Amino acid sequence: MPLTFQPIIRELLDDTGTTKIVATTTEDGSPYAVTSPFLHLNHDGFFVHLELLETSITNRNLLRDLWFDRKAAINLTGKDGRSFLVKGVPVKAIISGPVFSEYYNKVQQALGDSDLSTVWLIKPVEIINETYSERKIEEESQYPFSVHLDRLVN
Amino acid sequence: MTKGEDAEHLNDIVAKYPEVPRLIILKTDVQRRGVFYTDAAVSVLDEKKHSITGTHIFGTRDGKIAPRPESLLLRDGTSIITTPTAIEDNPYVVDLLDGQPFLYDGGEPIEEVDYWPAPAFYGKLARSGILMQKIVSARPQRLVINPHRYCTFWKNGNGCTFCDIVAQIKKGKKDLQIQARPKAEEIAEIVAEALKEPGRYSAIFLTSGSVINGTEPFDEEIDIYIEVFQELGKLFRTKKFPSQIIGTAYSEAQLERLYRQTGLMSYTADIEVLNEDLFNIHCPGKAEWIGYKEWKRRLVKAVDIFGRGFVNTGLVAGIELTSPHGFKTEDEALKKTLEEAEDLASQGVSTVYIVWSPRPDTVIGNQKNASLDYYIRLAKGLHELRVTYKLPIMFDDYRHCGNHPDTDLSRLLPF
Repeated sequence: MPLTFQPIIRELLDDTGTTKIVATTTEDGSPYAVTSPFLHLNHDGFFVHLELLETSITNRNLLRDLWFDRKAAINLTGKDGRSFLVKGVPVKAIISGPVFSEYYNKVQQALGDSDLSTVWLIKPVEIINETYSERKIEEESQYPFSVHLDRLVN
Repeated sequence: MTKGEDAEHLNDIVAKYPEVPRLIILKTDVQRRGVFYTDAAVSVLDEKKHSITGTHIFGTRDGKIAPRPESLLLRDGTSIITTPTAIEDNPYVVDLLDGQPFLYDGGEPIEEVDYWPAPAFYGKLARSGILMQKIVSARPQRLVINPHRYCTFWKNGNGCTFCDIVAQIKKGKKDLQIQARPKAEEIAEIVAEALKEPGRYSAIFLTSGSVINGTEPFDEEIDIYIEVFQELGKLFRTKKFPSQIIGTAYSEAQLERLYRQTGLMSYTADIEVLNEDLFNIHCPGKAEWIGYKEWKRRLVKAVDIFGRGFVNTGLVAGIELTSPHGFKTEDEALKKTLEEAEDLASQGVSTVYIVWSPRPDTVIGNQKNASLDYYIRLAKGLHELRVTYKLPIMFDDYRHCGNHPDTDLSRLLPF
């Protein structure tokens, strides 16, 4: 992960107002996106997605991604409009042991009577800044023909 | 075959079956060839962190009882339930790479593995003073109980040809102080302690040797299960709880009794090999007391009681190819096995397999198991039957057992 982005990513992940999305694809390539309220970065720089339901489509898609070296996407959008898309590879599905137990307890503390299927570790391989205010400047400077003329009128 | 040839074979099979995950092919091959733990791999074993071999109902391939990792976990959460194998027999090697256990083949690192985590109740003593793990053991998400470790088919020498349960209990008694018949109350005491660990278990599994005694044959075997299940049932607020037995094929009346009087949710009766002649040869006790056709009929009847997706049968895959009676080619073995598995699947019974691991204290322990190609085709075939007949297999999947490459593939089933 580019170090310049890491503090921003961590900041967004730590902010309860941030919208956190995990997007995957089904076997036939159809997109599938869900919110991931527990999403965060661990100390090793992997995204941690907690999958609560064993038979969820996301769980299966992440498994397929791990098995066949495919990528998933994560979108983080803050209240202030900062937005980042992270492409990552699911590299580990933890279903038992101390790490699993720690998250199982956290989920129960947060949601009461609930379960945890899998702790997914997603290795980021590409981060794209999708913050509109920054993308707008970039777009207008690099692609002047993308601008509608009415916006340029005196 | 040299080590290098085996490594090449793995990659060939991975390339040949791009629709099968490499990790599942690797798992299958590790089960096929076994593992050898280096001193370094054993040196990082920590009984506070890892499950260490102890309460196996069956023996090891190298014939030794020694502290080693109980089994391995892959990155996808799949277990490799395997058995230590002598280095001369060309197994995969578990060594360390930067302090992490790693599978090696031909000196090359292949894949990281984790040792199974130790449950919190390991190391604790039951009220009787016995170490709890001598009575109840654990897989990554399952509690394992062997309420009766002797198989009475051996009384007249009719034990299965691939089985060493009796030899193992003799070794276990001597070396591990394992009880042949633990008390139901003590089992429940230990399970209660185990369940204090949140998120650690999603099923309870019981299996025993067959017990022919009773008014009707196997009544006593069922009595043992019922006694244990009724004690376990006191621990739960629901009448039924996620659980499985691998038992003998019971009559309808026995199955009804087992289902109605306990919290048991799923039922497995291993037919071991899907061919009547081979069944008679490899499972003479099962043939003598029940018979092949009756075994299958009882499996189908069990679906009426436990429901579709809650009944299956297991194969010890590879014994169907052993000499002198086995199929002459893997193609023939696969065709015949899948034909019979389809007949069962069409009636609601799933078939799963384990990779046969030839062990020294067994009748056919001096023979070799099948090729990796065969095992992958068998896994695909059994999985595809579940797709065709929409048969869920969650009760015997990667999480609740971990010993079946075919049910690993079924993790992606949409039902």
